[in-house]
Amino acid sequence: MTMLSLTINGRAVGPLDVRPDLSMNDFLRERLGMTGTKFGCGAAQCLSCAVIVDLDDGTSVTKPTCVAPALDFNKQKIRTVEGHAVNGVLTPLQLSFVEHFAFQCGYCTPGFLNEGQVLLERLEREKVAREDLERTIMEALDGHICRCSGYVKYHQAVRDVILADPSRFLTA
Amino acid sequence: MRPSRRDFLKLASVCGISLSVSPVASAEVPDVAARETLPGRGVSHPALGRVDGVAKVTGGKLYAADFRAADLPGWPATTHHALLVRAPDATHLYEGLDLAALPPEATPTLVVTAEDIKRIGARVPEFYAGDLFCPVGTTPLYLGQPVALLLFETFDAYDVARVAFRDGNLLKFGKETGPRTGANYGAFRFTRVAGAEPGAPDIYSPLQEGWISPGFVDSGSGRPIWRVLPDEKGPDYVKGAAYGEAIRAELEAVNPSVLTLDRSFATQSVDPMFLEPETGLAWYDPAAKKLDMVIGVQSPFEAAEAVAHLLGEVQADHKPGAVNTRFCYVGGGFGGRDHTPFPLYVALAALFFPGRPVRLAHDRFQQFQGGVKRHAFKMRSQIGVDRKSGLITAFAADHVLDGGGLANYSVSVAVVGATGAIGMYAIPKVDVTTVAEHTRGVTAGSMRGYGTLQTMTALETLVDEACTALALDPIEFRRRNALKVGARTMTGNPYSVSVRAPEILDKLQTQAIWKDRAREKAAARSGFLIGTGVACAAKDYGTGADCSLGAVSIDPQGRVSINSDAVEMGNGIGTALANRVATHIGAIADEVTVAQIDVFDELELVTSGDPYSISQADQDQAARDPHWVPAISSATSASIGAHVGTQAAAEAARVVFRFGLWPAALALWGVAPRDPRAERWTEAYWQGETLLFSGLPPLPLKALAAKAHEQGGVTGAMAHAFSRWAWAEATFALPEGEWSAEIDALAVRRGSGGYQRLDRKAVAFPPADYNRIGTAFASMCGTSVRIEIERATGNLRIAKAYSVLECGKTLVPEVVLGQAQGGFAMGVGYALLEDLPPFEEGPGNGTWNLGQYVVARGSDLPLHDLDIEVLPPLAANEPPKGMAEVVMIPVVPALLNAIFDATGHRFYALPVTPAMIKGVLA
Repeated sequence: MTMLSLTINGRAVGPLDVRPDLSMNDFLRERLGMTGTKFGCGAAQCLSCAVIVDLDDGTSVTKPTCVAPALDFNKQKIRTVEGHAVNGVLTPLQLSFVEHFAFQCGYCTPGFLNEGQVLLERLEREKVAREDLERTIMEALDGHICRCSGYVKYHQAVRDVILADPSRFLTA
Repeated sequence: MRPSRRDFLKLASVCGISLSVSPVASAEVPDVAARETLPGRGVSHPALGRVDGVAKVTGGKLYAADFRAADLPGWPATTHHALLVRAPDATHLYEGLDLAALPPEATPTLVVTAEDIKRIGARVPEFYAGDLFCPVGTTPLYLGQPVALLLFETFDAYDVARVAFRDGNLLKFGKETGPRTGANYGAFRFTRVAGAEPGAPDIYSPLQEGWISPGFVDSGSGRPIWRVLPDEKGPDYVKGAAYGEAIRAELEAVNPSVLTLDRSFATQSVDPMFLEPETGLAWYDPAAKKLDMVIGVQSPFEAAEAVAHLLGEVQADHKPGAVNTRFCYVGGGFGGRDHTPFPLYVALAALFFPGRPVRLAHDRFQQFQGGVKRHAFKMRSQIGVDRKSGLITAFAADHVLDGGGLANYSVSVAVVGATGAIGMYAIPKVDVTTVAEHTRGVTAGSMRGYGTLQTMTALETLVDEACTALALDPIEFRRRNALKVGARTMTGNPYSVSVRAPEILDKLQTQAIWKDRAREKAAARSGFLIGTGVACAAKDYGTGADCSLGAVSIDPQGRVSINSDAVEMGNGIGTALANRVATHIGAIADEVTVAQIDVFDELELVTSGDPYSISQADQDQAARDPHWVPAISSATSASIGAHVGTQAAAEAARVVFRFGLWPAALALWGVAPRDPRAERWTEAYWQGETLLFSGLPPLPLKALAAKAHEQGGVTGAMAHAFSRWAWAEATFALPEGEWSAEIDALAVRRGSGGYQRLDRKAVAFPPADYNRIGTAFASMCGTSVRIEIERATGNLRIAKAYSVLECGKTLVPEVVLGQAQGGFAMGVGYALLEDLPPFEEGPGNGTWNLGQYVVARGSDLPLHDLDIEVLPPLAANEPPKGMAEVVMIPVVPALLNAIFDATGHRFYALPVTPAMIKGVLA
């Protein structure tokens, strides 16, 4: 057993004893009961298990949790689907997902939500031209598998958040 | 035996075990922000979209995979774990587990084997006939057959063992035996010969003569012998087969005026690949002798009954007196969770680990190894087309399905595939044989398209080939041959719903993809080929024995609650229920609770017999009991969600309006009971939550609800509905007057009182003979695609796509659109990407996962060039029609036809990969 400490959705967790080979997905779901992060394939192929990792330089990335040991996240700050809404108030992206009927069964939604949120935050720092927007969204979301929806509405939901506030995300 | 697509549950006690079913109770997870997001409970924001929308974007506990013992009130806090070990070999004797090879910390507390199951007296339900576990010393019946259930105290022990079994060779096998053989699951022949003139009685049809099966199988191959033998068993087969053989002789005769094509087509096995692997949680409390289960399936009643059957005769010290099953939202279904044996193993895990809540969860490798698959088909099709008129003269086909190791729905899929084999066309002479075979492959069962995806793909590519041969425009060809409203399908009955082929074809013809195809082809970039393809499908929805349970109530403040037995699996059933009920009582429900069974006790329903095979005399006799219905509940499939799943709730809402809100409105308006306007309730309508009636003041729902409660009007109704290609209709007597509707059981609540059941005064169940119908309900969809193929690589890009469909009244347009988009994606995967090899190289070997198995991603699809058009209903009162399956089907042949248009080569097997395309371009 090895000790693990990290920050999840702004709250310190640990130190906790974990098996060196315990996956981050199992740590979240089995140890913490945080089942918003899903298990889909266990092979980092569907990304329903992806969480946001906030890096020290102020940027963020998503990482699959199903193949990564929990210890890989030691001392890191992560965000999960449970941490997006604050005091019950949905984020613009969460609202957009709901309003667009972006998902059907919803099992892949946490991964798409995290990926879309990271994209929005990146575009706030690194704006893109309008003509590159669809391609940018595609590149960001393409690792995620959705078996129900055909992806169209996920992409539209992300795009519409951006187009609703173009000066924030797009170059002039 | 007539195959049943959906079995039924006889309520009350089964084998001395009392059954109950309930939604998952609310749960809070320690150290996670408090939330209450379970089906029908807590926060719902229907105004924002789906009723389950907020829960799904906030990580709410919805799925069976999300629940642990600590989440469930009254359960012990600790969750224990079970590992279902499956055989990767079905040609050698199984000799047991090599548990000594496990790391010490991964030693299971208990190992459950076939011997243990036999010892306690567990029984396999008929639907899952075959050993639940392969006994030691036996060759596994099929690849992926369970051999043992390992039970662990801790998650860590389980997890280490899971990985050890995944990565190691811990199952011992002995001498080679070859695969076990088994009889075919079923074989049928569907033959129809139309009368000489349109509208004349058929000369022969399954509807007139019944369904037929051959009497003999070949002793060598095990295949049915379709030709008529001198000593054929039974005259029915002789008669039908004689007509069938005559059709084949006609197709094989040389006739210069008729184009005849004879082609073979093969489709592959694929996985439903729903994202949530199958999972269950169960706790057997030996003190209370109660088994509690949490599972996620498409068929809740069936799962509950199967578990009760399994345990019905186990030894007294193991036998629960009660089984309570809680059903969750499911993370995708596509048919793959309809009649899955997984809940049986969940129940056994708990039973052998008494007092400990046990979780059994597939990982993705296990889901590939053990989950139900789509049937691989081998098909031979013959079509005759009159060269002058372009009319199809005859069609014959032979289908062979790989059913895998257990029968599951193989026979039913074979039947639906066969009766769908002529798609949208009117063909005067049809002869189709089908056989579902037992093999050592992973069990195949229900999956979106249900056999017709395979047979209509073969048909629509054959039609395209005929058009090429005759130089006929493919859309014009379809227009000439399309089945018209009132015309007979291949089983000899007409559809009883709208038939809108002309509109679908008009749309396809005038849409830009088809209109511009020649210009776009000519404008292909250097090194690329452009192709355009089109295809259509008419897909059944409903099973011939579909049930709906629904209840609607309104409180004095005007808040509406809905209960339904339908299951939410992404199909938006909760939202559809809310929207359909709102059309009758004005308000979107504040609470929609799905997957419920135990709230309908007041209906006091009883059933008997098999709704698919009951005789008219037996039905008439049974119907004398006002409590009797042909079946009580059926599985949820996406294609019947809108049509069936919302029926009972909608009818309940109409009762609440007619006998609760309408009398309240009359009172508030001061309209006397004898005033002629008092009977004109059908003329009232809602604008939002305000009731409008010509010449009278608008009334808010809240005021109506309060008044209804005050005067003891009907404020709640629950109903049961049954359809056998037509809804059962019944008449009930209320003090205010008689009420006739498409339901067969009704209970009402007045004011804040309890529900009171009403005996029906009269009932008309659909005739038993309707069981000879293949389908009477169908929706149509057409798809056109434009593709671009890179010559050097064979890579294919879908540049544009268009699908047009009709589905009657759309309850939730956004969900219909999403289903169509999702169906398109799944069609692309089936046509171009997904493939599971049979047998040892396939998923049963336990090594398959995503990566090796490729499904469509966003970049495989024309996300910004996919145009979906839904035809408006023909009339304001046209009922909703199923659409979630039909939207997938034409995508596949349209792509194949486009590949031919681009390359000049026809492919007769799926999937078509870039390497295959490159190969024909070399």
